[in-house]
Amino acid sequence: MIDIRQNDATEAVQSDPILQTDGLTKRFGGVVAVDDVDLAVEQGELHAIIGPNGAGKTTLFDTVTGALPPTAGTVWFDGEEITDLPQEARPHRGLARSFQSNQLFNDLSVLENVRVVVQTAQTGTFSLDLLGEGQDRYRDRAFDHLERVGLDDQYSTAAKNLSHGDQRRLGIAVTLATEPSVLLLDEPTSGIGTTETQETAEMIDDLRQELDLTILLIEHDMDIVLLMSDRITVLNQGEVIATASPEAIRDNEDVQNAYLGGMREEL
Amino acid sequence: MSDRRSPETIARWATESLDTDVLHRLRVPLGLVAVIVFIRPVVSHPVLLGYEQIANSILIWMLFAASFNLLIGYTGLLSFGHAMFLGFGTYGAAIGVLHMGLPFIVAALISVAVATVVAHLIGRLTVQKGEIYFAMLTLAFAQSVYFIANQNYGGITGGSTGLSGALPAWIESYRGVMYVSLEWLRFDWYYLLAVVFLIGMLALWQLVRSPFGRTLAVVRENEELARAVGIDTRRYKIWSFTFSGMFAALAGVLLEINNQGATLHDLSVTTSGDVILMTVLGGTKYFFGPLTGVFVWLFSRDFLTEFETLVVPLSEFPIVRVELSGVLTYWQFFLGLLFVIAVLVAPREGVWGLFRGGVERLFQRFGGDQE
Ligand SMILES: Nc1ncnc2c1ncn2[C@@H]1O[C@H](COP(=O)(O)OP(=O)(O)O)[C@@H](O)[C@H]1O
Ligand SMILES: [Mg+2]
Repeated sequence: MIDIRQNDATEAVQSDPILQTDGLTKRFGGVVAVDDVDLAVEQGELHAIIGPNGAGKTTLFDTVTGALPPTAGTVWFDGEEITDLPQEARPHRGLARSFQSNQLFNDLSVLENVRVVVQTAQTGTFSLDLLGEGQDRYRDRAFDHLERVGLDDQYSTAAKNLSHGDQRRLGIAVTLATEPSVLLLDEPTSGIGTTETQETAEMIDDLRQELDLTILLIEHDMDIVLLMSDRITVLNQGEVIATASPEAIRDNEDVQNAYLGGMREEL
Repeated sequence: MSDRRSPETIARWATESLDTDVLHRLRVPLGLVAVIVFIRPVVSHPVLLGYEQIANSILIWMLFAASFNLLIGYTGLLSFGHAMFLGFGTYGAAIGVLHMGLPFIVAALISVAVATVVAHLIGRLTVQKGEIYFAMLTLAFAQSVYFIANQNYGGITGGSTGLSGALPAWIESYRGVMYVSLEWLRFDWYYLLAVVFLIGMLALWQLVRSPFGRTLAVVRENEELARAVGIDTRRYKIWSFTFSGMFAALAGVLLEINNQGATLHDLSVTTSGDVILMTVLGGTKYFFGPLTGVFVWLFSRDFLTEFETLVVPLSEFPIVRVELSGVLTYWQFFLGLLFVIAVLVAPREGVWGLFRGGVERLFQRFGGDQE
């Protein structure tokens, strides 16, 4: 196990990891969904999070983005502690996430889904702007994001009427519209076919290059993970059991145990 | 599939928006003007209701329901206490004139301002409590206001009789019809009412189409996602509630003039319930939905109550004569039935949505035949 945890005694402004958690814990009653997780995501890397179902991957995202308050521990972003920063303030700092299940503004058009988010990125968490026509603002910028994910020709379709794969793409476009520097993607390929999975993987790679993103990726497709990531963190029952390069992870016994579903007596 | 970035799409999108620009942009203002121009001749036609005054209440209720739809339709908040803001308008104007001796306009402005501030405060306390608690809390606040008005502390609110006779100096009542009477000019009160209605509705329209209003739709559609992309959903909901209360109070001021006073009924849970039913019946998804609901509701209520003998085709040429007085007095049952059907068939669409859909289909078929 490779421990990249920062020494607790070092001063707060540690600019190296762009995103960092320190003893992050989330309990739901008796269930410890995230258990004392120390995670450090370096600027510019693609860092994958893997682990069996129920390992706490999504809950880790929820606590990092502020959707859920952590039970204990701290979250650091870009050298500042953001543990208590309101959820809606975080995307404006550059920290954004996509969802495992399709979360969209269902009744609104594809374009409007993205346009409002561009507007939000430009005007802040709240703006009492009562003048002009909302739908005219930032259309071009929204269109750029739709082009990136290949949805520009369906701009007027209601989000709920898209195919599942296109909904996944729109979810990514919506997230991109927040202009993130660190992007948290929660199983972007879940529920879509092999060809589309391949396309999505390529798209993520392109985005990363073009937009200079740091990506934290939850993904169940091991081929993609091993191919794309710079580093991999393995979660099991809320705990980090390894953080290492793809090669090291592939050969790690603990990881194989976790994936084979073997109950690990020790550890 | 991912390589469909076509410049043609962008070009098409650009021309489309140019083509439909002018008509599309003016459709709501034109529609509103059509409402105030046509509603009176229509309802006062002898075959229909035969009297003009009902048009006044219809416009006032339309403004009230439209203010309510800002919450339920645009923000996705269901309040069970919207009548309290209508009541702030009626009682505020009446109290200002009767007890403080203020000119009507000043009393009206103050009461709208007070309603706005109160709405903001109540909004801060309630919007983030979850659907059921929000509904119950708004109901509780409205019931408290009703209770206070009924208790008549210090004789200010007139208890169960309410307040009457608080009219602007420039309003004159003659044979049951109200006139705006200035030194050099005298015209039916309806026209002033219609102008205020138009201004209020245009302001509401601007509100919902503005960047602020577009964000409300996003909060309604998916609050979790809205917060995740950086929207302070709580503040948007508070301000939606604030504006909603403000426009309801404006409707209240108009109602005060129209009824020549304030009554407990304005504040009652019945009024809060009626505005929900009318708005949902008309369709919460559309700007004209609540207007349609109010029209259908108030019109059918009076039509069905008054109309006792159906003569087909016209009373000048009686061919068939049906006595309906026994059946149609159950107008509430028929409206209730219509409501249930509208909600079951098309929630959010309502009568206006069904009508629009029907017209669109007709249009398509008609257009298709011609080609
Ligand atoms: N809101 C919640 N309330 C209670 N338990 C939850 C909640 N969310 C997740 N859990 C539990 O936390 C554990 C981790 O879940 P999750 O983070 O969704 O795992 P993963 O994304 O790795 O599949 C599971 O046991 C799950 O049942
Ligand atoms: Mg998950």
